[in-house]
Amino acid sequence: MKQDTNRKITVEDLLAIKRAERPPAEFWASFESELRAKQLAAIVGKKSWRDTLPRIFTAVYRYHLPFGAVAALALTWAGIHYSSVSVDTVRTVPGAEARPSAHLPVPASTVVQAAERSVRAPEQARVAQPESVRAPAAAADSLVNAAPASKAPRTAIGTRFSDVVAATLADFRENQPELARRDIFSSDREFETTVESMRQAASEPLARLDPAAEERNSRLLESALPAYGSSSGSATLASERVRERASNDRMYESMDPYESSGRTSLEIRF
Amino acid sequence: MNASKALEKTLVASPERKLEADADLAIVRRVQGGDVAAFDQLVFKYRERMVGVIYNMTSNREDAADLAQDAFIKAFQSIHRFEGQASFFTWLYRIGVNSTLSHLRKNRMRSFFSLETVRGDDPVSREVIDALTDKTGAGRDAFIGELQEKLNDAMQKLSINHRTVVSLFEIDGLSHQEIAEVMDCSVGTVRSRLHYAKQLLQAELQPYLRQ
Repeated sequence: MKQDTNRKITVEDLLAIKRAERPPAEFWASFESELRAKQLAAIVGKKSWRDTLPRIFTAVYRYHLPFGAVAALALTWAGIHYSSVSVDTVRTVPGAEARPSAHLPVPASTVVQAAERSVRAPEQARVAQPESVRAPAAAADSLVNAAPASKAPRTAIGTRFSDVVAATLADFRENQPELARRDIFSSDREFETTVESMRQAASEPLARLDPAAEERNSRLLESALPAYGSSSGSATLASERVRERASNDRMYESMDPYESSGRTSLEIRF
Repeated sequence: MNASKALEKTLVASPERKLEADADLAIVRRVQGGDVAAFDQLVFKYRERMVGVIYNMTSNREDAADLAQDAFIKAFQSIHRFEGQASFFTWLYRIGVNSTLSHLRKNRMRSFFSLETVRGDDPVSREVIDALTDKTGAGRDAFIGELQEKLNDAMQKLSINHRTVVSLFEIDGLSHQEIAEVMDCSVGTVRSRLHYAKQLLQAELQPYLRQ
Protein backbone atom coordinates (compact mmCIF):
# COMPACT_ATOMS: atom_id res chain seq x y z
CA MET A 1 0.00 0.00 0.00
CA LYS A 2 1.45 3.30 -1.06
CA GLN A 3 1.62 6.15 1.41
CA ASP A 4 -0.17 9.27 0.20
CA THR A 5 2.24 11.96 1.29
CA ASN A 6 0.25 14.81 -0.24
CA ARG A 7 -2.88 14.29 1.81
CA LYS A 8 -3.56 16.84 4.51
CA ILE A 9 -4.21 15.28 7.95
CA THR A 10 -6.16 17.33 10.47
CA VAL A 11 -7.44 16.70 13.97
CA GLU A 12 -10.86 15.96 12.52
CA ASP A 13 -9.34 13.25 10.34
CA LEU A 14 -7.67 11.61 13.30
CA LEU A 15 -10.90 11.75 15.29
CA ALA A 16 -12.58 9.96 12.38
CA ILE A 17 -10.52 6.92 13.37
CA LYS A 18 -12.19 6.99 16.75
CA ARG A 19 -15.54 7.16 15.01
CA ALA A 20 -14.69 3.91 13.28
CA GLU A 21 -13.97 2.09 16.54
CA ARG A 22 -16.60 -0.55 17.17
CA PRO A 23 -16.86 -3.26 19.81
CA PRO A 24 -16.94 -6.90 18.61
CA ALA A 25 -20.22 -8.71 17.97
CA GLU A 26 -20.09 -10.78 21.18
CA PHE A 27 -20.05 -7.53 23.15
CA TRP A 28 -23.60 -6.81 22.06
CA ALA A 29 -24.83 -10.24 23.13
CA SER A 30 -23.62 -9.71 26.69
CA PHE A 31 -24.81 -6.11 26.59
CA GLU A 32 -28.30 -7.29 25.67
CA SER A 33 -28.48 -9.93 28.40
CA GLU A 34 -27.18 -7.55 31.08
CA LEU A 35 -29.62 -4.89 30.01
CA ARG A 36 -32.50 -7.39 30.22
CA ALA A 37 -31.47 -8.37 33.74
CA LYS A 38 -31.21 -4.75 34.84
CA GLN A 39 -34.51 -3.88 33.22
CA LEU A 40 -36.20 -6.78 35.00
CA ALA A 41 -34.67 -5.77 38.31
CA ALA A 42 -35.85 -2.22 37.76
CA ILE A 43 -39.40 -3.40 37.03
CA VAL A 44 -39.57 -5.89 39.91
CA GLY A 45 -37.53 -4.05 42.54
CA LYS A 46 -39.38 -1.52 44.59
CA LYS A 47 -37.72 1.59 45.85
CA SER A 48 -37.59 2.01 49.59
CA TRP A 49 -38.49 5.29 51.28
CA ARG A 50 -34.76 5.92 51.85
CA ASP A 51 -34.21 6.09 48.10
CA THR A 52 -36.90 8.72 47.69
CA LEU A 53 -35.65 10.92 50.53
CA PRO A 54 -32.78 12.56 48.60
CA ARG A 55 -35.16 13.36 45.75
CA ILE A 56 -37.62 14.95 48.18
CA PHE A 57 -34.89 17.01 49.81
CA THR A 58 -33.63 18.09 46.41
CA ALA A 59 -37.12 19.18 45.41
CA VAL A 60 -37.63 21.00 48.69
CA TYR A 61 -34.21 22.65 48.44
CA ARG A 62 -35.04 23.90 44.97
CA TYR A 63 -38.07 25.75 46.37
CA HIS A 64 -36.60 26.72 49.73
CA LEU A 65 -37.21 30.44 49.16
CA PRO A 66 -40.96 30.13 48.42
CA PHE A 67 -41.34 27.63 51.27
CA GLY A 68 -39.61 30.00 53.66
CA ALA A 69 -41.71 32.92 52.53
CA VAL A 70 -44.94 30.93 52.94
CA ALA A 71 -43.85 29.74 56.41
CA ALA A 72 -43.04 33.30 57.47
CA LEU A 73 -46.40 34.52 56.17
CA ALA A 74 -48.22 31.71 57.96
CA LEU A 75 -46.46 32.48 61.24
CA THR A 76 -47.22 36.17 60.88
CA TRP A 77 -50.87 35.48 60.13
CA ALA A 78 -51.15 33.04 63.04
CA GLY A 79 -49.57 35.54 65.39
CA ILE A 80 -51.88 38.35 64.33
CA HIS A 81 -54.94 36.09 64.32
CA TYR A 82 -54.41 34.63 67.79
CA SER A 83 -53.45 37.93 69.35
CA SER A 84 -56.69 39.47 68.04
CA VAL A 85 -58.68 36.44 69.26
CA SER A 86 -57.19 36.74 72.74
CA VAL A 87 -57.98 40.45 72.88
CA ASP A 88 -61.56 39.77 71.79
CA THR A 89 -62.07 37.02 74.33
CA VAL A 90 -61.02 39.26 77.21
CA ARG A 91 -64.26 41.13 76.84
CA THR A 92 -66.22 37.90 77.31
CA VAL A 93 -64.62 36.76 80.60
CA PRO A 94 -67.36 36.70 83.31
CA GLY A 95 -67.10 39.49 85.81
CA ALA A 96 -64.49 41.24 83.76
CA GLU A 97 -66.14 44.59 84.20
CA ALA A 98 -65.87 44.34 87.99
CA ARG A 99 -62.03 44.41 88.18
CA PRO A 100 -59.67 46.40 86.05
CA SER A 101 -57.13 43.58 85.95
CA ALA A 102 -59.67 41.31 84.26
CA HIS A 103 -59.65 43.57 81.22
CA LEU A 104 -56.22 42.36 80.28
CA PRO A 105 -55.76 40.06 77.28
CA VAL A 106 -55.98 36.42 78.29
CA PRO A 107 -54.23 33.58 76.43
CA ALA A 108 -56.61 31.36 74.53
CA SER A 109 -55.80 28.22 76.56
CA THR A 110 -56.52 29.97 79.86
CA VAL A 111 -59.78 31.26 78.54
CA VAL A 112 -60.75 27.78 77.37
CA GLN A 113 -60.01 26.26 80.78
CA ALA A 114 -61.99 28.92 82.55
CA ALA A 115 -64.80 28.46 80.09
CA GLU A 116 -64.88 24.70 80.58
CA ARG A 117 -65.04 25.08 84.35
CA SER A 118 -67.69 27.71 84.19
CA VAL A 119 -69.75 25.62 81.81
CA ARG A 120 -69.72 22.78 84.32
CA ALA A 121 -71.66 24.92 86.73
CA PRO A 122 -75.30 23.89 86.69
CA GLU A 123 -76.81 27.31 86.25
CA GLN A 124 -74.55 28.11 83.28
CA ALA A 125 -74.66 24.63 81.70
CA ARG A 126 -78.26 25.24 80.78
CA VAL A 127 -77.25 28.21 78.70
CA ALA A 128 -73.96 27.07 77.15
CA GLN A 129 -73.65 24.47 74.35
CA PRO A 130 -71.25 21.55 75.27
CA GLU A 131 -69.92 21.15 71.71
CA SER A 132 -69.08 24.78 71.39
CA VAL A 133 -66.92 24.68 74.52
CA ARG A 134 -64.32 22.44 72.84
CA ALA A 135 -63.26 24.92 70.22
CA PRO A 136 -61.47 28.06 71.37
CA ALA A 137 -63.49 30.37 69.21
CA ALA A 138 -66.73 28.66 70.13
CA ALA A 139 -65.76 28.77 73.78
CA ALA A 140 -65.62 32.50 73.56
CA ASP A 141 -69.14 32.47 72.08
CA SER A 142 -70.46 30.31 74.90
CA LEU A 143 -68.91 32.65 77.39
CA VAL A 144 -70.69 35.48 75.72
CA ASN A 145 -73.96 33.58 76.18
CA ALA A 146 -73.19 32.63 79.76
CA ALA A 147 -71.82 35.91 80.98
CA PRO A 148 -73.68 39.13 81.28
CA ALA A 149 -73.08 41.53 78.47
CA SER A 150 -69.81 43.21 79.27
CA LYS A 151 -68.71 46.46 77.79
CA ALA A 152 -65.06 46.25 78.84
CA PRO A 153 -62.76 48.48 76.87
CA ARG A 154 -59.96 47.02 74.77
CA THR A 155 -56.56 47.14 76.56
CA ALA A 156 -52.97 46.96 75.43
CA ILE A 157 -51.70 43.57 74.28
CA GLY A 158 -48.32 43.69 75.92
CA THR A 159 -49.50 43.26 79.53
CA ARG A 160 -47.83 40.88 81.94
CA PHE A 161 -48.91 37.27 81.86
CA SER A 162 -48.93 37.00 85.68
CA ASP A 163 -51.64 39.66 85.88
CA VAL A 164 -53.71 37.72 83.43
CA VAL A 165 -53.32 34.49 85.41
CA ALA A 166 -54.20 36.29 88.64
CA ALA A 167 -57.33 37.73 87.08
CA THR A 168 -58.37 34.34 85.75
CA LEU A 169 -57.83 32.69 89.13
CA ALA A 170 -59.80 35.39 90.86
CA ASP A 171 -62.67 34.83 88.46
CA PHE A 172 -62.48 31.13 89.00
CA ARG A 173 -62.53 31.43 92.78
CA GLU A 174 -65.45 33.77 92.66
CA ASN A 175 -67.54 31.64 90.32
CA GLN A 176 -66.57 28.20 91.66
CA PRO A 177 -65.86 28.48 95.40
CA GLU A 178 -66.40 24.74 96.04
CA LEU A 179 -64.04 23.65 93.28
CA ALA A 180 -61.53 26.29 94.23
CA ARG A 181 -61.42 25.10 97.83
CA ARG A 182 -60.63 21.57 96.72
CA ASP A 183 -58.08 22.65 94.20
CA ILE A 184 -54.38 22.74 94.95
CA PHE A 185 -54.10 26.49 94.57
CA SER A 186 -57.12 27.33 96.69
CA SER A 187 -54.87 29.04 99.21
CA ASP A 188 -51.14 29.61 99.38
CA ARG A 189 -50.98 28.48 103.00
CA GLU A 190 -52.60 25.15 102.20
CA PHE A 191 -50.03 24.38 99.53
CA GLU A 192 -47.17 25.09 101.94
CA THR A 193 -48.56 22.94 104.73
CA THR A 194 -48.99 20.06 102.32
CA VAL A 195 -45.34 20.27 101.32
CA GLU A 196 -44.23 20.56 104.94
CA SER A 197 -46.13 17.47 105.96
CA MET A 198 -44.56 15.60 103.06
CA ARG A 199 -41.10 16.65 104.24
CA GLN A 200 -41.78 15.37 107.77
CA ALA A 201 -42.99 12.07 106.50
CA ALA A 202 -39.81 11.71 104.50
CA SER A 203 -37.62 12.11 107.59
CA GLU A 204 -39.50 9.57 109.67
CA PRO A 205 -38.64 6.10 108.20
CA LEU A 206 -35.70 5.63 110.61
CA ALA A 207 -38.10 5.91 113.51
CA ARG A 208 -40.40 3.42 111.89
CA LEU A 209 -37.90 0.52 112.07
CA ASP A 210 -39.44 -2.70 113.29
CA PRO A 211 -37.85 -3.74 116.67
CA ALA A 212 -38.73 -7.38 116.11
CA ALA A 213 -36.95 -7.39 112.77
CA GLU A 214 -33.93 -5.69 114.31
CA GLU A 215 -33.76 -8.34 117.02
CA ARG A 216 -33.96 -11.10 114.42
CA ASN A 217 -31.17 -9.51 112.39
CA SER A 218 -28.98 -9.27 115.49
CA ARG A 219 -29.56 -12.91 116.25
CA LEU A 220 -28.62 -14.01 112.75
CA LEU A 221 -25.52 -11.82 112.69
CA GLU A 222 -24.47 -13.12 116.10
CA SER A 223 -24.50 -16.66 114.82
CA ALA A 224 -22.52 -15.67 111.73
CA LEU A 225 -20.10 -13.20 113.39
CA PRO A 226 -19.23 -14.05 117.01
CA ALA A 227 -17.85 -10.60 117.77
CA TYR A 228 -21.14 -8.94 116.79
CA GLY A 229 -23.25 -10.43 119.59
CA SER A 230 -21.70 -8.91 122.71
CA SER A 231 -21.74 -5.20 123.03
CA SER A 232 -18.48 -5.34 124.97
CA GLY A 233 -16.86 -7.24 122.08
CA SER A 234 -17.96 -4.68 119.56
CA ALA A 235 -16.76 -1.90 121.83
CA THR A 236 -13.37 -3.62 122.10
CA LEU A 237 -13.12 -3.87 118.32
CA ALA A 238 -14.00 -0.20 117.96
CA SER A 239 -11.40 0.90 120.47
CA GLU A 240 -8.78 -1.23 118.72
CA ARG A 241 -9.64 0.37 115.40
CA VAL A 242 -9.33 3.86 116.91
CA ARG A 243 -5.97 3.04 118.42
CA GLU A 244 -4.68 1.57 115.18
CA ARG A 245 -5.78 4.66 113.23
CA ALA A 246 -4.07 6.94 115.78
CA SER A 247 -0.81 5.01 115.50
CA ASN A 248 -0.99 5.19 111.71
CA ASP A 249 -1.48 8.93 111.92
CA ARG A 250 1.53 9.29 114.15
CA MET A 251 3.58 7.24 111.74
CA TYR A 252 2.66 9.44 108.79
CA GLU A 253 3.34 12.58 110.82
CA SER A 254 6.77 11.27 111.81
CA MET A 255 7.80 10.94 108.18
CA ASP A 256 9.79 13.83 106.76
CA PRO A 257 8.76 14.09 103.16
CA TYR A 258 11.16 16.96 102.40
CA GLU A 259 14.22 15.26 103.98
CA SER A 260 15.05 18.48 105.79
CA SER A 261 17.60 16.71 107.97
CA GLY A 262 19.66 15.77 104.92
CA ARG A 263 19.56 12.07 105.66
CA THR A 264 18.68 9.66 102.94
CA SER A 265 17.15 7.05 105.23
CA LEU A 266 13.53 7.20 106.35
CA GLU A 267 13.04 7.49 110.11
CA ILE A 268 9.98 5.83 111.47
CA ARG A 269 9.00 6.10 115.11
CA PHE A 270 6.45 3.91 116.78
CA MET B 1 -23.23 28.02 -0.72
CA ASN B 2 -21.61 24.79 0.40
CA ALA B 3 -19.93 26.61 3.29
CA SER B 4 -23.24 28.02 4.48
CA LYS B 5 -24.87 24.58 4.30
CA ALA B 6 -22.03 23.09 6.31
CA LEU B 7 -22.36 25.85 8.85
CA GLU B 8 -26.11 25.29 9.09
CA LYS B 9 -25.50 21.61 9.65
CA THR B 10 -23.27 22.34 12.58
CA LEU B 11 -25.78 24.73 14.10
CA VAL B 12 -29.14 23.01 13.78
CA ALA B 13 -30.33 19.46 13.54
CA SER B 14 -30.63 17.98 10.07
CA PRO B 15 -34.05 17.22 8.49
CA GLU B 16 -33.26 13.50 8.64
CA ARG B 17 -32.81 13.81 12.36
CA LYS B 18 -36.14 15.59 12.65
CA LEU B 19 -37.85 12.73 10.83
CA GLU B 20 -36.05 10.35 13.11
CA ALA B 21 -37.29 12.29 16.13
CA ASP B 22 -40.89 11.99 14.91
CA ALA B 23 -40.54 8.24 14.50
CA ASP B 24 -39.02 7.99 17.98
CA LEU B 25 -41.86 9.97 19.46
CA ALA B 26 -44.39 7.51 18.03
CA ILE B 27 -42.53 4.64 19.68
CA VAL B 28 -42.30 6.55 22.94
CA ARG B 29 -46.06 7.13 22.92
CA ARG B 30 -46.54 3.39 22.53
CA VAL B 31 -44.29 2.70 25.50
CA GLN B 32 -46.12 5.33 27.53
CA GLY B 33 -49.37 3.62 26.56
CA GLY B 34 -48.19 0.35 28.09
CA ASP B 35 -46.38 -1.37 25.21
CA VAL B 36 -43.18 -2.07 27.15
CA ALA B 37 -41.71 -4.22 24.39
CA ALA B 38 -41.64 -1.22 22.07
CA PHE B 39 -38.81 0.19 24.15
CA ASP B 40 -36.55 -2.55 22.74
CA GLN B 41 -36.74 -0.84 19.36
CA LEU B 42 -35.32 2.31 20.86
CA VAL B 43 -32.61 0.36 22.63
CA PHE B 44 -31.63 -1.43 19.45
CA LYS B 45 -31.62 1.80 17.49
CA TYR B 46 -29.47 3.84 19.86
CA ARG B 47 -27.31 1.36 21.72
CA GLU B 48 -24.29 1.64 19.39
CA ARG B 49 -24.30 5.40 19.38
CA MET B 50 -24.83 5.58 23.10
CA VAL B 51 -22.02 3.15 23.84
CA GLY B 52 -19.83 4.98 21.30
CA VAL B 53 -20.33 8.37 22.91
CA ILE B 54 -19.74 7.04 26.41
CA TYR B 55 -16.74 5.03 25.25
CA ASN B 56 -15.18 8.16 23.77
CA MET B 57 -15.74 9.95 27.05
CA THR B 58 -14.42 7.18 29.30
CA SER B 59 -12.05 5.29 26.97
CA ASN B 60 -13.15 2.12 28.74
CA ARG B 61 -15.40 -0.49 27.19
CA GLU B 62 -16.79 -2.00 30.41
CA ASP B 63 -17.61 1.37 31.89
CA ALA B 64 -19.21 2.40 28.63
CA ALA B 65 -21.39 -0.72 28.61
CA ASP B 66 -22.48 -0.25 32.23
CA LEU B 67 -23.22 3.43 31.83
CA ALA B 68 -25.13 2.92 28.59
CA GLN B 69 -27.25 0.21 30.23
CA ASP B 70 -27.93 2.47 33.19
CA ALA B 71 -28.93 5.25 30.82
CA PHE B 72 -31.42 2.99 29.06
CA ILE B 73 -32.84 1.82 32.38
CA LYS B 74 -33.22 5.38 33.62
CA ALA B 75 -34.88 6.38 30.37
CA PHE B 76 -37.25 3.42 30.66
CA GLN B 77 -38.13 4.24 34.25
CA SER B 78 -38.84 7.88 33.57
CA ILE B 79 -40.28 7.64 30.08
CA HIS B 80 -43.69 8.70 31.38
CA ARG B 81 -42.14 12.10 32.07
CA PHE B 82 -40.97 12.55 28.49
CA GLU B 83 -43.29 15.13 26.96
CA GLY B 84 -41.85 15.32 23.47
CA GLN B 85 -40.62 18.91 23.62
CA ALA B 86 -37.11 17.75 22.73
CA SER B 87 -36.28 14.78 20.53
CA PHE B 88 -36.01 11.42 22.24
CA PHE B 89 -32.41 10.89 21.28
CA THR B 90 -31.43 14.29 22.76
CA TRP B 91 -33.23 13.32 25.95
CA LEU B 92 -31.57 9.90 25.98
CA TYR B 93 -28.16 11.41 25.29
CA ARG B 94 -28.68 13.84 28.10
CA ILE B 95 -29.34 11.01 30.53
CA GLY B 96 -26.30 9.09 29.29
CA VAL B 97 -23.97 12.08 29.24
CA ASN B 98 -25.03 13.23 32.69
CA SER B 99 -24.52 9.73 34.11
CA THR B 100 -21.11 9.57 32.49
CA LEU B 101 -20.10 13.00 33.72
CA SER B 102 -21.02 12.12 37.30
CA HIS B 103 -19.20 8.79 36.94
CA LEU B 104 -16.08 10.52 35.65
CA ARG B 105 -16.18 13.09 38.43
CA LYS B 106 -16.47 10.35 41.02
CA ASN B 107 -13.63 8.33 39.53
CA ARG B 108 -11.17 11.01 38.49
CA MET B 109 -8.17 9.10 39.73
CA ARG B 110 -9.21 5.73 38.32
CA SER B 111 -8.64 5.30 34.62
CA PHE B 112 -8.32 2.00 32.79
CA PHE B 113 -8.22 2.36 29.05
CA SER B 114 -9.28 -0.26 26.57
CA LEU B 115 -9.05 -0.20 22.80
CA GLU B 116 -11.79 -1.11 20.41
CA THR B 117 -11.27 -2.55 16.96
CA VAL B 118 -11.12 0.01 14.16
CA ARG B 119 -13.52 -1.03 11.43
CA GLY B 120 -11.72 -1.64 8.20
CA ASP B 121 -14.72 -0.82 6.05
CA ASP B 122 -14.92 2.77 7.18
CA PRO B 123 -13.62 4.80 4.19
CA VAL B 124 -12.52 7.92 6.06
CA SER B 125 -10.48 6.10 8.67
CA ARG B 126 -8.95 3.79 6.06
CA GLU B 127 -7.93 6.78 3.97
CA VAL B 128 -6.33 8.52 6.95
CA ILE B 129 -4.46 5.42 8.00
CA ASP B 130 -3.29 4.85 4.43
CA ALA B 131 -1.98 8.41 4.35
CA LEU B 132 -0.11 7.96 7.61
CA THR B 133 1.55 4.60 7.02
CA ASP B 134 2.59 2.39 4.16
CA LYS B 135 2.93 -0.69 6.33
CA THR B 136 0.78 -3.74 5.85
CA GLY B 137 -0.23 -6.68 8.02
CA ALA B 138 1.07 -6.71 11.59
CA GLY B 139 2.98 -3.47 11.15
CA ARG B 140 -0.16 -1.68 10.09
CA ASP B 141 -2.11 -3.10 13.04
CA ALA B 142 0.63 -2.02 15.43
CA PHE B 143 0.57 1.48 13.99
CA ILE B 144 -3.22 1.67 14.34
CA GLY B 145 -2.95 0.52 17.97
CA GLU B 146 -0.31 3.15 18.67
CA LEU B 147 -2.43 5.86 17.04
CA GLN B 148 -5.48 4.78 19.07
CA GLU B 149 -3.48 5.03 22.27
CA LYS B 150 -2.27 8.48 21.34
CA LEU B 151 -5.80 9.57 20.56
CA ASN B 152 -7.09 8.19 23.87
CA ASP B 153 -4.29 9.91 25.76
CA ALA B 154 -4.99 13.22 24.04
CA MET B 155 -8.71 12.92 24.76
CA GLN B 156 -8.09 12.09 28.41
CA LYS B 157 -5.93 15.18 28.76
CA LEU B 158 -8.97 17.31 27.97
CA SER B 159 -11.33 18.30 30.73
CA ILE B 160 -14.53 16.32 31.06
CA ASN B 161 -16.68 19.00 29.45
CA HIS B 162 -14.28 19.59 26.57
CA ARG B 163 -14.01 15.87 25.96
CA THR B 164 -17.78 15.54 25.91
CA VAL B 165 -18.17 18.34 23.39
CA VAL B 166 -15.54 16.85 21.10
CA SER B 167 -17.09 13.40 21.37
CA LEU B 168 -20.57 14.64 20.59
CA PHE B 169 -19.56 16.93 17.74
CA GLU B 170 -16.63 15.27 16.00
CA ILE B 171 -17.36 11.62 16.64
CA ASP B 172 -21.12 11.41 16.97
CA GLY B 173 -21.95 14.26 14.62
CA LEU B 174 -24.40 16.24 16.75
CA SER B 175 -25.00 19.90 15.93
CA HIS B 176 -24.04 22.74 18.25
CA GLN B 177 -27.68 23.22 19.15
CA GLU B 178 -28.14 19.57 20.01
CA ILE B 179 -24.99 19.52 22.10
CA ALA B 180 -26.19 22.61 23.93
CA GLU B 181 -29.46 20.81 24.70
CA VAL B 182 -27.70 17.67 25.81
CA MET B 183 -25.19 19.48 28.03
CA ASP B 184 -27.66 22.10 29.21
CA CYS B 185 -25.51 25.06 28.22
CA SER B 186 -25.52 27.77 25.56
CA VAL B 187 -24.46 27.32 21.95
CA GLY B 188 -21.69 29.87 22.51
CA THR B 189 -20.30 27.76 25.33
CA VAL B 190 -20.34 24.74 23.06
CA ARG B 191 -18.42 26.59 20.36
CA SER B 192 -15.80 27.97 22.69
CA ARG B 193 -15.28 24.58 24.31
CA LEU B 194 -14.96 22.98 20.91
CA HIS B 195 -12.45 25.55 19.74
CA TYR B 196 -10.33 25.22 22.86
CA ALA B 197 -10.47 21.42 22.79
CA LYS B 198 -9.33 21.31 19.16
CA GLN B 199 -6.39 23.54 19.94
CA LEU B 200 -5.31 21.21 22.73
CA LEU B 201 -5.76 18.14 20.57
CA GLN B 202 -3.76 19.75 17.80
CA ALA B 203 -0.89 20.33 20.18
CA GLU B 204 -1.05 16.78 21.51
CA LEU B 205 -1.31 15.08 18.11
CA GLN B 206 1.17 17.26 16.28
CA PRO B 207 3.39 14.34 15.10
CA TYR B 208 0.47 12.83 13.21
CA LEU B 209 -0.79 16.01 11.57
CA ARG B 210 0.09 17.27 8.09
CA GLN B 211 -0.68 20.81 7.14
